[in-house]
Amino acid sequence: MTDNASHLGATLQDLLDERLDAARQTEVLTHLAGCPQCRSELEALRWVREVALKHLPVEDVPPALAARVVAALDVTDKQTVRRGWRRRTMAAAVLAAAAVVLLLLVSPSSNGDTLPNAVARDFVAYRDGTLPLTLHTSDVAAVERFFVAGGAPFAMRVFDLGMMQYQLVGGRLHRLRGRPSALFVYSGPGDRNLVCQMYEGQLADLPRSDDVREHNGITFWVYRAGTVTLVFWQEGPVVCVLASDAEAEAVIQLAYAKAVKV
Amino acid sequence: MSDPDQRRRQFESIALPLMQALYNTSLRLTADGDEAADIVQETFLRAYRTFDNFRPGTNAKAWLFTILYSVFANRYHEAKRRPRMEAVEELEAPAGPESDIALVAAWGSRWNPEVERALRRLPEDFRTPLLLIDVEGLSYEEAAAVLGCAVGTVGSRLFRGRKLLYAMLQEYAHQAGYGKHSAPDP
Repeated sequence: MTDNASHLGATLQDLLDERLDAARQTEVLTHLAGCPQCRSELEALRWVREVALKHLPVEDVPPALAARVVAALDVTDKQTVRRGWRRRTMAAAVLAAAAVVLLLLVSPSSNGDTLPNAVARDFVAYRDGTLPLTLHTSDVAAVERFFVAGGAPFAMRVFDLGMMQYQLVGGRLHRLRGRPSALFVYSGPGDRNLVCQMYEGQLADLPRSDDVREHNGITFWVYRAGTVTLVFWQEGPVVCVLASDAEAEAVIQLAYAKAVKV
Repeated sequence: MSDPDQRRRQFESIALPLMQALYNTSLRLTADGDEAADIVQETFLRAYRTFDNFRPGTNAKAWLFTILYSVFANRYHEAKRRPRMEAVEELEAPAGPESDIALVAAWGSRWNPEVERALRRLPEDFRTPLLLIDVEGLSYEEAAAVLGCAVGTVGSRLFRGRKLLYAMLQEYAHQAGYGKHSAPDP
């Protein structure tokens, strides 16, 4: 390719990138009709833009990086909170806030914000695009490494639901009503979403369920929030929950298939 | 955005989906997986700290790339570790038998050796507009804001970058079936 006063040079790029007004575009097209060299230069520019650079591979974010970013944001949040506390000089205000926190801790359902409600809300937030995943991958091991790298404070496992036609989408280190939780998501038949969370706790922390089931010696607590079905069960010190807008019995069967008696 | 939880959620909704684009660009700027990851982490931290200055509805991608490029430029320029610059004339020659070990390690099996190697050899001034506009789809105006230069400067660097890249890849392009009968000489 050459720049020459009799040829169009960088104007070819303006044509390619649609940055010419109509009059100038007409002039350029007229020139191109009679100039093989400019036509070749234009096609070379087009090849670079539309072939060479449009088909570059996309590298997945390393799980450790995603976890590091979340951890760094957590540290920033804590520093912000500490600065905020230092600014508060009124002891009475501090005491009042502490009293409110204490009340919330000892009475988790006193304001109606139960764990099932929180899980259902997270499901809806994910489905509506307001709860982003930190790591996007269908690699089960990568998501597990991501949780470990992010300092998940409990042993957890990510399910392989491929046999049930649910494809892993990714995960995030999350907080479920103040508790650290490992949240991971699947996409299933009919574009149904399945959101799984694991957190340290006990089924006894949950409000009473009207639908308690037993399967293979494991107890499952089932809740419904609108179209969302929630299935909780215990694995050692960890509570697992599946949330989905798929057909309720299908969600329960998924839980049956993946629950492990510990 | 006074509620910290709400602020965090809003930030994550806007910024986290762009992590892959940021990481890929950082990888192509540095050709070093660890360095690229450090730059992305620093980008997210800076963005989060200044999130109150971000105006909802404006282009989050351009905003984050502006921070990313600033982090990258500070690291390379202040530490004088800027990627090696080659004379423009040398770039039009076919690539020599340089070691691609670091690049292959960073990109794994999906590495596209011809294009990635050519991109790597481009001077940063020409490579960055290509990455921002042709790979990430930013407008000239957004790329100019990211790079802190005039729109015309972005256009001229993009033009030079595209021409140089084509010159380096001409043989590859022909082997791939492009322009066997019509491509110009370099």
